[in-house]
Amino acid sequence: MTIADLSSMLFDRVRDLSALCTRVGELSDEGIPFVLLAGGTDWMVEQEMREPLASDVFPTVIDVSQMGELRGIRLDGDILRIGAATRYLEMRRHPAVLERAPLLERMARDVGAIQIQARGTLGGNIATGSPAADGVAALAAFDALVVVKSRRGERHIPLSELQTGYKTSTRAPDEIIVAIEIYLPSRNATWFWRKVGTRKAQAISKVALAAIAEVQGGQVVRCGLGMASVAPVTALLPRTRELFLSTRLDAIDDFMIDKCVESDIQPITDVRSTGPYRLHVAKAVVREFARSLGAA
Amino acid sequence: MTAPNEKEPKSAGVVGKSISRSDGVAKVLGTARYVDDLPALPGEIHGATVRSPVPRGRIRSVRFDPSFDWSDVIVVQASDVPVNVVALIADDQPVLAAKQVNHAYEPIVLLACADRRKLTLAKLAVHLDIEPLVPVLDVATALEGSNVVWTAPAGFGEPNTNVVKRYVLTKGEVDVDAELARCAHVLSGAYSTHHQEQLYIEPQGVLSWWDDDGVHLVGSMQCPFYVHKALVKAFALEPHQVDVAQAVTGGGFGGKEEYPSILAIHAALLSRKSGRPVRMIYDRTEDIEATTKRHPCLCEITTGCDADGTLRVLKMRVVMDAGAYVTLTPVVLSRGLLHAAGTYRWPNVFMEAIAVATNTPPNGAFRGFGAPQTIWAIERHMDALAAYLGTDPMVLKRKNVLVEGDTTATGQLLRTSVSSLECLDKGSSASRYVERRAEIEKENRRRAQRGERKRLGIGASIFMHGAGFTGSGERVLQGKAAVDLLPGGRLRIRTASTDIGQGTETVFRQIASDACGVAVEDIDFAVPSTKVVPNSGPTVASRTVMVVGSVVEACAREIGDRVKTEQVEQGGTFAEAADRLLVKEGSVTALHQYEPPPFVHWDDEAYKGDAYPCFAWMCDVAEVEVDLDTFETDVKKLYLIGDVGKAIHPTMCKGQLEGGSLQAMGWALFEEVVWKDGLIQNPRMTNYIIPTALDAPVFDTTLVECPFPYGPGGGAKGIGELPMDGGAPAIAAAVEHATGIAVHHLPLTPERLFEASLGRLSPTSTFHPAA
Ligand SMILES: Cc1cc2nc3c(=O)[nH]c(=O)nc-3n(C[C@H](O)[C@H](O)[C@H](O)COP(=O)(O)OP(=O)(O)OC[C@H]3O[C@@H](n4cnc5c(N)ncnc54)[C@H](O)[C@@H]3O)c2cc1C
Repeated sequence: MTIADLSSMLFDRVRDLSALCTRVGELSDEGIPFVLLAGGTDWMVEQEMREPLASDVFPTVIDVSQMGELRGIRLDGDILRIGAATRYLEMRRHPAVLERAPLLERMARDVGAIQIQARGTLGGNIATGSPAADGVAALAAFDALVVVKSRRGERHIPLSELQTGYKTSTRAPDEIIVAIEIYLPSRNATWFWRKVGTRKAQAISKVALAAIAEVQGGQVVRCGLGMASVAPVTALLPRTRELFLSTRLDAIDDFMIDKCVESDIQPITDVRSTGPYRLHVAKAVVREFARSLGAA
Repeated sequence: MTAPNEKEPKSAGVVGKSISRSDGVAKVLGTARYVDDLPALPGEIHGATVRSPVPRGRIRSVRFDPSFDWSDVIVVQASDVPVNVVALIADDQPVLAAKQVNHAYEPIVLLACADRRKLTLAKLAVHLDIEPLVPVLDVATALEGSNVVWTAPAGFGEPNTNVVKRYVLTKGEVDVDAELARCAHVLSGAYSTHHQEQLYIEPQGVLSWWDDDGVHLVGSMQCPFYVHKALVKAFALEPHQVDVAQAVTGGGFGGKEEYPSILAIHAALLSRKSGRPVRMIYDRTEDIEATTKRHPCLCEITTGCDADGTLRVLKMRVVMDAGAYVTLTPVVLSRGLLHAAGTYRWPNVFMEAIAVATNTPPNGAFRGFGAPQTIWAIERHMDALAAYLGTDPMVLKRKNVLVEGDTTATGQLLRTSVSSLECLDKGSSASRYVERRAEIEKENRRRAQRGERKRLGIGASIFMHGAGFTGSGERVLQGKAAVDLLPGGRLRIRTASTDIGQGTETVFRQIASDACGVAVEDIDFAVPSTKVVPNSGPTVASRTVMVVGSVVEACAREIGDRVKTEQVEQGGTFAEAADRLLVKEGSVTALHQYEPPPFVHWDDEAYKGDAYPCFAWMCDVAEVEVDLDTFETDVKKLYLIGDVGKAIHPTMCKGQLEGGSLQAMGWALFEEVVWKDGLIQNPRMTNYIIPTALDAPVFDTTLVECPFPYGPGGGAKGIGELPMDGGAPAIAAAVEHATGIAVHHLPLTPERLFEASLGRLSPTSTFHPAA
């Protein structure tokens, strides 16, 4: 419940990624709490909402928003690499994103509003670990890899292995998110984005679906799904995905989709929406995706 | 008060022109100083409030953590309050709870400290030991009455019940049930509305200090004299010992009508005990949790009509949730009841309005003041009746709409400035209602055939809003305003009417300018401070322009006439004559008091007569698109046809109609206070959802000018609240047209529409076909 604590925190910047890894490692060794500050659009809200801190537990805040090695978008063959501190607005404008991963552009357009897009990053979206994260849902559809680094070295975590529960993760606390790597689908792949929020902008998702599919001769050969706000983690809808990959499109009907979605998720009622409504909408948007592929 | 035939403005002037706002530059440049921006006074400290975590309970003890360093923290408890009462209508609300808490977030302890961070830690070091009592959290339980949670102060409410206030209103045949039995068609329905948070941009805040003169207070507020009265009472002071001034205020919508009184007392208590200036600024969460909201309301209606749809009988019960204390509830309930019959001609009426206490934060003033709740009910009922009769709602409404010469439910003869029919017809033609309805139905059939999932709909509402205080209110209030002549022929307007963003400063200048011929740039507007301005009454009830504006007009005209007389006698320019007059008389001031039109008579006992000097009228037509999968409602277009009497400032007038309609749309579609065990689950702007610019429809707004002969500037009427009344029923009618789902309970969130589509929230109209 206090922004008043901000004045007591130590704000810091480091030279480069390796210095950052060292610094974070040292802080971990000494048991000093720390945060990496990217856009600050999640972290600042958390500061405002929590109880004031006892004076001995102030975190060290390290600003990574300007760190070159965490920023920028690069296309390398069919691999798209997006730095963790790249902002939504940069994604919305980047030619490689617009041409090869328009789903990301479309998703970014629906995050908050322009002010948030000008600061917010995928690294922050992933690290916060909210099941409502739009960015993570989109990355899930691509089966993205999360590149993390620490003193111990670099590793790639498949998005499907990242989240273990509500805001818990396989990423170690001292592992910095460096980038996201996406193995792009073919140029004629179908993509789908539908965010059902509390209003048209500045809205947290009640349900959001990101999906991509490559279809060959009436059969889906690559498919990825990511759904926000229907489970404690970003929902990957494994049974639904299996349906798409195992059944010819002309044999997939609404009933089959509904059954799969029902077995994939049991959404809850919270302050934003109700469980039954979420389930209803989840089925509706998956059906819409299926129709866009030409399902029955 | 001047007679109507003398009302022609003397100069061609500025009334009717959208001149630039006098507060605009400072607000755009960010130089306007809201209370939180005022420079710190020497020694100033911050105040904070410790509140009840439960909706009802007995306070066993308040413990101050001994391990915490309290040396530089000021603590105030109930025992520190000289007179522990927030002065308003009934004296039932304590400044600080002493023995019992009656709603969550009720203030118990006040703290102040120079160090903001320490202050937040100090709040955590106060341990409340409260024995919970079974709360009453909804209207039905409160009405049922086995758990009485409210103690009626002398002369108020009904002892040993939760009933805070009850009114009965009748017209025509005494036995309405017998009259109903004679009707060709009888229809019953129940309609309900929910809480709404004002969500002004600037949260509540005040700054208080004491000196030899007494107590001083500057704050964000609508009604400096309400705060004045509350401080006088709580500290047992003489009126001259209390000085209250309005700071630049970032919106109010009624939320800063009565609440600032309690916050002002809190800050003044801390300041008195510490001997230092104290500033208290709520953050958004505290503001949403602790301050007033729109009263939830349940209306049960039974109507009877002839075979051709001519209305005969209205029988209605209105029940409002007061919250834990009386605050302004009797007045809100009254206004709700006085608008409950809608814009229709009813020969026979029996209406009962009841307000009950619950263990929720007191509900209070909010734009519309009870009328949006009851107009929602009557408009939805008329739509249901039209569906039952198989006619278009607009046809049924037009057939029964009040026109000049009709009498309202209170028996008020509508003498003048009645434009219901004009608004309705202009609404139909502007929106091409009949053609669009047919086009839309065709388009929806096409979409259905193609398997598309979105449907269009169009719907309308027709409504009115009484301007000024209800009944004898203005006569009792005797609102005053003054205009001073200043050197160089300048003027200064002094009123207690506050500009809270709605443009009072600008509009008063325009009215005064035309009344005396002095240019708007040469007219000052005194900061509303109780030491400086006369008591014009509160800035509420759509009364500022029509009531106080007419007094300002009379004052300005008097000053203008006096200077011009001097000019005629001794020559020179207006400015020279003004300076001579000032030398001669020392000071030149006109002070006038509001006189209601002579025909206004109201009988409080019988609840009959002229409820308002006049009404503003309006018709809304909404076009929506509803997604049948997600049940999201997209309001595409809102046609607003509003009769404002005379638009002093057309742009701001349209701004009121459009902004008010957007607020109504928010109430209809998004806004919902989510409660759990008496606590608010969504006290933040991220989860209390109001529409943003992207959600706003395209507005097509028409100002109708059907002058009220006694209004200023050539006939202005009050319009601040009017647009809040009709948005929800118009949108609901359009949603019904689009989906076939008739929702009678607000809000129409996607979740509720989804439930309704499954029949779980079925429409509650029951049909009694004619025998
Ligand atoms: C008004 C508003 C609207 C919003 N709307 C949306 C929306 O529509 N959809 C949505 O998904 N989200 C939304 N958000 C949430 C937020 O904007 C996003 O989650 C955003 O992506 C967070 O990124 P950031 O850079 O601002 O994170 P920060 O706040 O800077 O950081 C968040 C957390 O991530 C950690 N972190 C940041 N970078 C790294 C890194 N490289 N490695 C390791 N840890 C790191 C930080 O230490 C911190 O704990 C909204 C927020 C606001 C305030």
